[in-house]
Amino acid sequence: MAPPSDLILQAGNRSMTPRRTDPIAPRDRSLASVIASLEALQQHADSPVAAIRRRAPSEPRFAQLPDALDPRLLGVLAKRGIERPYVHQAESWNRIAAGENVVVVTPTASGKTLCYNLPVLNALAVDPGTCALYLFPTKALAVDQLEEFNGYGNALGADVRAFTYDGDTPSDARRAIRRRANVVLSNPDMLHAGVLPHHTRWARFFEHLRYIVVDELHAYRGVFGSHLANVLRRLKRIAAFYGSKPQFICCSATIANPRQLAEGIAEEPFALVDDNGAPSGEKYFVFYNPPVVNQQLGIRRSYVNEARRMAQVFLDRGRQTLVFANNRLATEVLTRYLKESVGRRAGRPAPVRGYRGGYLPKERREIERQLREGEVLGVVATNALELGIDIGSLDAVVMAGYPGSVASTWQRAGRAGRRRDVSVSVLVASSAPLDQYVVEHPEYFFDSSPEEAHINPDNLEILVNHLKCAAFELPIEGGETFGPHATTELCRFLEESGVLHHAGGAWHWTSESYPADAISLRKVTSDNFVVVDASDSSRVIGEVAFPAALTSLHEKAIYIHEGKLFHVEHFEYKERKAYVKRVECGYYTDAIEHSQVVPLEDFDNQRQGEATAIHGEIRITRRVVGFKKIRFYTNENVGDGKLSMPEQEMHTTAFWLHFRTGFLAGLPYATTEKRDGLIGLGNVLRTVATVALMCDPRDLGVSTRHSHSGPDSPLDPELFLYDNYPGGIGQSEPLFRMRDSLGTRVRDLLGACPCKAGCPSCVGAPGEVGGKAKEVARLLAESLIVPAQVAPTA
Amino acid sequence: MDRLGRLDIEKLRRRINLSIRRGMRDPAPPIRTAQQVAVPERTAGSEGIEGEERETPMGRYLLQERVYANGSRHGDFPIDRLREASPQWIAAASNRELDPVHPSRWVFLDTETTGLAGGTGTCAFLVGVGALEDAGFRVKLYFMRDYDEEPAMLAALAEHLARYDAVVTYNGKAFDVPLLETRYLLKRQRSPFARMGHLDLLHCARRLWRERMPNCRLGTLESRILGFERNGDIPGALIPQRYFEFLRSRRASGLAPVFRHNALDIVSLACLASRTMAIYASPDEPPLRHGQDLLGLARWLRNAGDEGRALQTYRRAIRAGLPPVSLCSCLWEAAQLQRRAGNHPAKVALLRDLSRACKANRVDAFVALAKHYEHIEKDFVQALELTREAQRLGPSDELDHREARLVRKVAG
Repeated sequence: MAPPSDLILQAGNRSMTPRRTDPIAPRDRSLASVIASLEALQQHADSPVAAIRRRAPSEPRFAQLPDALDPRLLGVLAKRGIERPYVHQAESWNRIAAGENVVVVTPTASGKTLCYNLPVLNALAVDPGTCALYLFPTKALAVDQLEEFNGYGNALGADVRAFTYDGDTPSDARRAIRRRANVVLSNPDMLHAGVLPHHTRWARFFEHLRYIVVDELHAYRGVFGSHLANVLRRLKRIAAFYGSKPQFICCSATIANPRQLAEGIAEEPFALVDDNGAPSGEKYFVFYNPPVVNQQLGIRRSYVNEARRMAQVFLDRGRQTLVFANNRLATEVLTRYLKESVGRRAGRPAPVRGYRGGYLPKERREIERQLREGEVLGVVATNALELGIDIGSLDAVVMAGYPGSVASTWQRAGRAGRRRDVSVSVLVASSAPLDQYVVEHPEYFFDSSPEEAHINPDNLEILVNHLKCAAFELPIEGGETFGPHATTELCRFLEESGVLHHAGGAWHWTSESYPADAISLRKVTSDNFVVVDASDSSRVIGEVAFPAALTSLHEKAIYIHEGKLFHVEHFEYKERKAYVKRVECGYYTDAIEHSQVVPLEDFDNQRQGEATAIHGEIRITRRVVGFKKIRFYTNENVGDGKLSMPEQEMHTTAFWLHFRTGFLAGLPYATTEKRDGLIGLGNVLRTVATVALMCDPRDLGVSTRHSHSGPDSPLDPELFLYDNYPGGIGQSEPLFRMRDSLGTRVRDLLGACPCKAGCPSCVGAPGEVGGKAKEVARLLAESLIVPAQVAPTA
Repeated sequence: MDRLGRLDIEKLRRRINLSIRRGMRDPAPPIRTAQQVAVPERTAGSEGIEGEERETPMGRYLLQERVYANGSRHGDFPIDRLREASPQWIAAASNRELDPVHPSRWVFLDTETTGLAGGTGTCAFLVGVGALEDAGFRVKLYFMRDYDEEPAMLAALAEHLARYDAVVTYNGKAFDVPLLETRYLLKRQRSPFARMGHLDLLHCARRLWRERMPNCRLGTLESRILGFERNGDIPGALIPQRYFEFLRSRRASGLAPVFRHNALDIVSLACLASRTMAIYASPDEPPLRHGQDLLGLARWLRNAGDEGRALQTYRRAIRAGLPPVSLCSCLWEAAQLQRRAGNHPAKVALLRDLSRACKANRVDAFVALAKHYEHIEKDFVQALELTREAQRLGPSDELDHREARLVRKVAG
């Protein structure tokens, strides 16, 4: 079977203008025909289709409804067509009924919510005095789940009083909620700063608190998870004060270690429920690598353009499609492309919409509803739609770029999946090293289990800050433990710093400050810039989180919202506002950011071959210094500008290599070649570290600098791999511990990479790092290998 | 297992110093190491603070008492003016939210706390209560010399409050009473406030004095209304720090001004209460001289639904003299009341006055008059004239509509 015309990808075709790639309306609109075409295309030499995997459909597996269910609840379930639960729902019920903490891990749309709603609703039917706390990572999810929960609650006819309680809750409603609610849907941030420090107002709620539901458990990785673990330590302490000991029910997307994560966050034993009984239709996963258009430079077709083409294949067949992009800019560019190229059908709303964090909540709710109800055909989204917001199941998912981790790739792919019909997910790889690695090694992705989620609740800075909050909430009794920790030493230390005071065998908070205010649980501060459309009567059209605002809302930037272009007229840093005006132009802007690293303190250092390996504390200053204007479709650079923006500072932990004085000077290469080699080594090291630490590549930053170790000495090169979070998330110490093997790992990766002089999969494209980077990086890597370990040379 | 056992406390100190520095523009002085901290010896007494150590089943606390003898004055104000109060006063001042309570069963309360942040980590370390006795006005200051004395202090306070039926505070509804209720809950003691009525004098005072005073802080009213000037009083913002210093040094000298401050607050509160309640208790002949104060009272009467008395008081306010802005609002509000009462000639007179006296309200006045002539008097010509007058001053769509309609009515 010949591939449909829209799937024929001519390597020589460099026409970049927007065009309808599908001149003849496809006669066969089925997804099966698309798969058949892709399979045929895969047979060609140098095919961009790198892999196709099929998952067979599976039948549902049911269990019996538990006898202990309240008859009214049985009635509600029957009315909703639930005669029998899936096996995983029954198993979680049984374990919860037996008093165990449970973590449920099943795919998207497998009826996970019922696993926690069932025991809570049943408990409320029996005794409306019972209370439950639901925690979601975002406010939007809480709103979404409240609707679902109330649907059951109202049908049940029991005295169910469920409310969301978060930063959006009006203050007069808060009092009523504290007095009345038996189910509260909130988030860790609100629990941390708004509930626990005022627990006496919640006395009734805590006294009767029986269940704590933590949904989207996998979202609590790294710093955020470490904070949540400490918030839960505080919560359990408060619950104990009111004489309750709540049971935990957690739900997670597929990760390697859900039970370990749950036990790490709640510090209690958990039972794992992962035998999914929900049915699923036939499903395909396609890896697509945009064809190389310039062999020498290793340049591939733009993955954004290719993702657009791929999405269009589905959209043109009338298939509901979700396109994921990895950042705000790519999301907006894709939204614009697809809006232009997908035909508007008469009497239908815009067939394609954008969706990302910066849109106003009302707009987001509307798009979610349109997706659920089939009113919109395609949506281009950031990871904001990766979490479990209910948008129903779609026919196709196109990922523009590898999402960065196995787990979130599966999570995004899980958005495609009809109960009965075929569904397809396509990963369109970018030229980033990790994307190339994944797409060229499909088994790396398909055969490896998803990443482990790591947290470090004992991170000193986090721990001490939460201990302060705990002392504020209730005096810390002598001999009391906080999580597994004895507190005496830390309390004594906090007394020295003047915030605690020991009296009557307990430590009391003696400061005027409100310690919860001093800690934000997330990497991103809640500080937002609002985007004001000044073209018509100053309407707020969006909000942008602090760090992103500097790169996307600077003066003369093109801000894109739902594919519409706005020119930033005025950027008010102090007021946190940007005034924009609607424009039409053929380009978008990309900010140029410079960063500089200064080491502050060594925690440990060791000689490692020709370098010293160090882990410690660093300061990074970033500044947006200018921007590029980039033409749509062709990605040509059509201009630039200089900017003077305020500097941003971050302290974090890092692993770094300080090369011996004169070592680089002794290598027979030009200065720029040596610099490029060092940058190349950094790129490879990041790939190596990402795989070794099983982390998200965005969790690690790379930077180089050249410093003088003495007044007259030559420049010593330094290479930094740092935790991309204020304060660090504990990745630099394991890197330091594996310093002995890093050189070997880099050398092996370079040796296995088939490129001649560097490519995006190893040191970077030669266009970026020059022609000698691979050679120099290899030499540098070998210099890190301690002689005993060097393999005998041929 | 103590996983932190392995931690080097010096490393911790360095890291925390670092994290503290991060939050500040100027580097903070580093935290001193344990050897450098002078840990004061804990002493049972509290040298320098007058008062009596009291022993309770829950432990000890310190009680200081001050009696303001009958006949003494607080500024220009005789403290025992409170004796003239009647049980009805508190009911009137609370807008009938409270039942009448005999003044001997009123207690005035004010706290000094470890901060203003609220939440369970803020503590009332000093609670002052004052009440009328035969000998005079007695102020009792309940003080915890350390955190372990809080249970005893709270229990003793609750026992004392049991003698009274109504508590009078200044901003106590938002601050002092919820804070103390939290403390009782945290110490697992029964709160004494559940059974007591509560009059927050701030609300009464605001209604009366807002128009004339720059603000309604107790300190402002105490000097402007009671004529009492404090010398060398400690600013409230410094009080938490004084207590923390005392906890660390156990030197009482820094606290003496805090005790004095609290006692004065109680006395001012009691005097201001008797002054304020007297006004609410006798609205027919309120002992007020300032027009603006009368305006405040008039508004309160109006909101309480006593429109007849409110009108009288508005009139009294105008007679007493008002600054221009207050006069305009006064005329306008009085005219509204007259309209509601159906007293049209009086309303028209007030609106005419308003249109003459107040530039800013002239349009409103003309519009209201135009409405009167159109709907009540059916004098469309007069109404049209007034509407055009208003249009000249401040044109609007609404006025254009009105004009067009009136033109039709005049023609038809």
